[in-house]
Amino acid sequence: MTEIEGYRVVPLRMSPDAKHCHSVYMREHFIRLMDPNKPKGRTLFLLNVPPYITEESLQTFFKRVGNVESVLFAEKPGRDETAKWYEGTDVPFSNVQTPFKFKVAYVVFQKSISIGRALALESLDLYNSSGECLIKTGMELWHDDYENNYILDVEKTQKEINDYMAAYDKRERAALAAAKTSEADPDGWVTVGKDGRNAGFEQKESVIGRIESKLEKDKKTKELKNFYTFQIRESKMQNIVELRQKYEEDKQKIELLKKSRRFRPF
Amino acid sequence: MGRIKEKESKAPSLSESHTDYEYAATAATSSDDGFDEPNRVPVHKRKVQLTNGEAKKKKFKHADSNVKPPTLEEIKEIRDTRNLFHSNLFKLQVKEMLEEIQLKPKYSNYIETWIETFTITVQELKDGLLDTCELEVPLHLHKKSFNFQFLTPTSEPKLIGAAATGTLLGPKIVVDVALEMPAACFQHDDYRNLIYDQKRALYLATVASKIKQSPAFKADQFAYNYHANNPLKPVLELTPASKLGKYLLLRVYITAQSEIFKLSRFLPWTNNIRPSVFGDKWNEAETLPATQHYNANVLFDLTLAENQKLLLSTFTGRRNFQEGLLLLKVWLRQRQLDVGFSGFSAHILAAYIAYLKQQRLLHQSSSSYQIARTVWNQLANSDWTQGITLSQHQPHQLITLAGYYDVCFMDVTGYYNLCANLPLAVYKAVCAEAKLAVELLNDVKVNSFSHIFMQTSPLYTRMDNILKITNPASVDQLLQLHVQPHVKYDYANYAHPQLLKLLTDLLQKGLGQRVHAILPLEVPCSPWTVDTKAPVIGRSLTLGLILDPEHAHEVLDKGPATNEDANGAAEFRKFWGNKSNLRRFQDGSITEAVVWATATDAPSQKRLIVRQIVLYLLEHQLQLEPSEVQYIAGNLDVVYSLTPSFKVAKLQTKLKIQQETDAEALTPNVIHCYDALARQLHSLGDLPLDIVSISGISPVFRYCEPQPLLPQARLVSDRIHAGQVLRVIIQLGPSGKWPSDLGALRSLKTAFLIQIGQQLKEQHHLHWHLCKDGLLVLKQGYCFLLELAHSKELALLKQQQTERGVTTYVDNPASRELERRHYILPRVSGALHALHQMHGAFGPTVLIAKRWLAAQLLDDGLWPSIATELLVAHLFQQRQTPHTTVSPQTGFIRFLQLLAHSDWSGELFLLNFNNSWTEQQITDLEHSYRSERDSYPSLCLATAYDQQHAGRLWTSNNSPSKPVLGRVTLLARHALQLIESSLLSPKLAFVRPAQLFMASGDGYDLVIQLKPDLLSNTLCYDLGSPFLPFSQRNFRLPLAGCDQLAKVVQQLRDAYSEYAAFFYNPHGGKELAIVWRPASEFAPKPFKVNELQACTPCVGGKVQVDRDTLVEDFKLLLKDFYLRVCTPQELKREQREHNKPKRYFNGQGESEPDKPQKKKKKASTIPTNAKKRLMKSKSMNALC
Repeated sequence: MTEIEGYRVVPLRMSPDAKHCHSVYMREHFIRLMDPNKPKGRTLFLLNVPPYITEESLQTFFKRVGNVESVLFAEKPGRDETAKWYEGTDVPFSNVQTPFKFKVAYVVFQKSISIGRALALESLDLYNSSGECLIKTGMELWHDDYENNYILDVEKTQKEINDYMAAYDKRERAALAAAKTSEADPDGWVTVGKDGRNAGFEQKESVIGRIESKLEKDKKTKELKNFYTFQIRESKMQNIVELRQKYEEDKQKIELLKKSRRFRPF
Repeated sequence: MGRIKEKESKAPSLSESHTDYEYAATAATSSDDGFDEPNRVPVHKRKVQLTNGEAKKKKFKHADSNVKPPTLEEIKEIRDTRNLFHSNLFKLQVKEMLEEIQLKPKYSNYIETWIETFTITVQELKDGLLDTCELEVPLHLHKKSFNFQFLTPTSEPKLIGAAATGTLLGPKIVVDVALEMPAACFQHDDYRNLIYDQKRALYLATVASKIKQSPAFKADQFAYNYHANNPLKPVLELTPASKLGKYLLLRVYITAQSEIFKLSRFLPWTNNIRPSVFGDKWNEAETLPATQHYNANVLFDLTLAENQKLLLSTFTGRRNFQEGLLLLKVWLRQRQLDVGFSGFSAHILAAYIAYLKQQRLLHQSSSSYQIARTVWNQLANSDWTQGITLSQHQPHQLITLAGYYDVCFMDVTGYYNLCANLPLAVYKAVCAEAKLAVELLNDVKVNSFSHIFMQTSPLYTRMDNILKITNPASVDQLLQLHVQPHVKYDYANYAHPQLLKLLTDLLQKGLGQRVHAILPLEVPCSPWTVDTKAPVIGRSLTLGLILDPEHAHEVLDKGPATNEDANGAAEFRKFWGNKSNLRRFQDGSITEAVVWATATDAPSQKRLIVRQIVLYLLEHQLQLEPSEVQYIAGNLDVVYSLTPSFKVAKLQTKLKIQQETDAEALTPNVIHCYDALARQLHSLGDLPLDIVSISGISPVFRYCEPQPLLPQARLVSDRIHAGQVLRVIIQLGPSGKWPSDLGALRSLKTAFLIQIGQQLKEQHHLHWHLCKDGLLVLKQGYCFLLELAHSKELALLKQQQTERGVTTYVDNPASRELERRHYILPRVSGALHALHQMHGAFGPTVLIAKRWLAAQLLDDGLWPSIATELLVAHLFQQRQTPHTTVSPQTGFIRFLQLLAHSDWSGELFLLNFNNSWTEQQITDLEHSYRSERDSYPSLCLATAYDQQHAGRLWTSNNSPSKPVLGRVTLLARHALQLIESSLLSPKLAFVRPAQLFMASGDGYDLVIQLKPDLLSNTLCYDLGSPFLPFSQRNFRLPLAGCDQLAKVVQQLRDAYSEYAAFFYNPHGGKELAIVWRPASEFAPKPFKVNELQACTPCVGGKVQVDRDTLVEDFKLLLKDFYLRVCTPQELKREQREHNKPKRYFNGQGESEPDKPQKKKKKASTIPTNAKKRLMKSKSMNALC
């Protein structure tokens, strides 16, 4: 029964006769600003989870101490780390996978009593009663992955697409309708869309940039550049300053090059 | 000025701020017309400043420091820079280099004192008869006895050459000293029959033996050498015993006064070596053959003093001239054109500078840069075959003199041809280099400095093919049977120029337009100690051939038409022997012709046509068997050929494929198939949007895929199996209806792909599968992966909202990757394909390079393969050499050179396709590159199509990482060393591919052996793995689109790269080699929540990473895939202990792989030993 800095250390065994195991550090998850997905009192926090561990396997394992609501991963403890970990995976057809790295895990139980039981575990045994590993790896995993994830079934995919598009269209229509109502929200703000009568200009960087540059240009055309003698003088002076600056810069470059001894031809 | 003062009095505070500007401005105006007195202004300014108060001074301090009025010198310098150099940078670089190569005063002082002591010693020498000389005479001639008495030199020894003109150049400084033989040593007919040379050698030996006894020189090392590989010109080499001896060498020449013989005796048409000297008979009635080259040899000594005088008057005290010559010497030496008997020596350069000064093309006050530039310019446009002269009163017509030599540059006396031994080809090569230098200087877009001065490009890297004749018996045969006697007399029986002339004439005639130039590759002969006999040199020949890409690979040599020119036809027939046949051509002409290959032959075979011709000519004309000579061409091409263990006959395909084929020859099949697919895609009628463009982005579409691609892909139980998947990008016509949500857009794209697939099936009966990456299509044995590109997807990926709610588009890794694949790679691929069309050697060079890197266990994750392609493209695009190579092997050697000598942190590789980067953009990029070096990856590549990503698109900081770059540099240096030594040595044969293309297995901590039956072998010619003997071959096709090994290594690197580095050969490697990071990574460390990865608790509340646990992890990830984990030492021991190493397959086919293994072992003994040291030294540790 090892404990270190308040963490309970247990070996993570992939098979009954595993000798060299990773150590997982567990404790109850507790921070001041609670994440609603990791509720206080029901969340177990695991450190040093090897890269190949999946959510399902942890869920299956921890079932023995109580029903598990969800398992979440993150690269390291922190506020938005979980969101970052899963970023992009919800977009269909985009090939985004969670990173393959050592990670931390949050196991959310349905009942808080499970935490205590979990912390009393002697080891995390990710194998079933017959000694088979809960996680698919190696050839088995690749084969599975190829059949189920890489090659897509056409009909199923088509259906998925249709569903997604239908939902998307619905969302779009709703958004469009909302934009057209131009009613004030409770705070009194009216959203101005790019459609409709009172359309503002598009809030895009390029559009804003274009407008700004036009203003700039207008200002410039009004300005006379070499009207006064002092302006001519100044521009000439500027020229000299630039030349000198360039010279100095080049000199510095040479200094840099000199350090790397690039002037010995042989 | 007065006006300003007025203003000042009115509003002093305001005008103060102006006055400064005013001065600068006046000075600036003066700079425009050049000559003004700006000096007055600063004086004035100082006055103003003095009258003002302290506080104000402070206020304008900042402005002051920036805007000092420019001085006359500064203006001049700035203008100089602008007019002469393109940038300060070039000028400063030249300045730095000159400073670097400047002779240190300790050397010049030493030389001064040395010459003093030498003079004294020499003058104290006593007259005497020859028998006092105890040393060997450094000359190899059958001597006739004659009287010779040593006489004390009457004149002082003098510094000559570089030492006299003040242009000594390191790293080994060679100081030449001339000692004049007194006139009394000669009799009036000594000019004839080599007596002069014998006396000269005797005199040298006597001087050497006498000096050796004098106390001042006793400790020095004495050696003889030949000057410029010329056996008639022995010199004495003295290496000082002091510490300076490491970098200093003094050479003593023996010369004679010009008055001892009449110079007119040595006019080119006179004979000074009678045939009787060599025991030959000569018909009395015939005129004696001219010995122009021998005459020039003697004249070199006789005219030395005069010429020296001229050079001294040109160079002494003129730093600009000296530096100009130094620049040119550096340039020449980097190109190795100054080596040997037929070299373009620095002496010629010095004389040419004197010539240009005489012609008033150089001015006394020209800067060193101007001198170098003018020389290049003049040289580029010169024609010395007509003859030029330094002499004011040329005694004989230049044109007559020029007729006796290839190149004619008469000296100050008008008798001696400085370029007597210079073959035309070498002169032409120098001219071409000069032209290139001028072009580089004029090109604003390249930083020409390093190209011109810093990069060594040994002569052999410029040759496409190399012919070596080193066999002594064949050399004898050539000399005795084929060399004309008058040539023998002319060169005083020196073998090298005779062979050179014989073979160049023959090959030039036989190869005609196919060859640009035939250059001799000489190695400077090494010195020998004074008490051993002079060695015979020059009895071997190495010729380099530079081929003309347009004509070199023509399959046919057409002779004259028989009915029009019967004599010509007969001659043609005689020259080519049985090879020549009478042929009737399509245009109706009937001519003699020689056919070397068929038009449909593979390109690699066509590249060997020249070799075929040369070997045939040698056999037919000179009776040299091909086995007696070495012809180095295409020796490394085998690495991308199809492995012989794969039997093409088993393949089911309509295409005609031979067993002996290679990746390059197979590529057109793929491209034809792709074109057919593209046509079919375009013809699909019922798509909602048209297909606008289809582009292939796999390396094979640009001839850069080293693994031969056979039409093998097929459907097995409803799954496509294919060795490689060819990626194709499709772009659809524009439409405004695409959704602006990433998920929806991608869904629609997938729907589109499904539709394309269905239509392909319906209309063209092609099999297809939808997969995560796109649409897999099977066509004629090739598997294509179609992807849709849409610009909106890119925009959506880049889209971000700022805090103010403004939408911006920011590059991120995902968007960059997408843009690269969908938009930039197709264009770059097109450009590289075009490059291959222009330079046929580009593709195969990439193939060899990729194979080499793969063999060094560097896969895509460590060294992106596109980087190889772009680096090779860079080589072919930039004009480093006058001729781009047509031989992939040379291309590969240049690639190695690039890897070995590039300064990765300082160099930016810019591929300016279509010249679309403007000058300003390049400057900006370079500026940003220099100032923010850390924000760029360690290997920085940019092309014309990725300007906004400049340098960050193709490589990243992790691939290749700095340690990998360092290792590649080291490996390349080693490989180059092997190649160079084998090329230049007269004994060794050219390196075998097995020597270069098999990495050493040392330095790795662990080897994970994978199950060979689960991994298919490469179709490339396999040279074996560094760890294990050949195993049973397995050419089973994997499932399309999954490279399991690459995937798992990627996973391992993602998860464990902090603890270990992973290596494997991407071309059919069946082992994973692992190097642990340094032990410090595995030491116990304190408990920290964020640094707990892979740690287990150990004593004292600390945690540490356990290697065994990690190995267990590797095993878990490779479950059912790995055979065993062991150390390389174990493997080696096992192989030693069991004669028959443990094999992990069942006996069959053992006898076959055994043979190559034995061969391989033998071959690899040399490099592995050397490599072992190399690896252990730095690189492996550096990797961690």
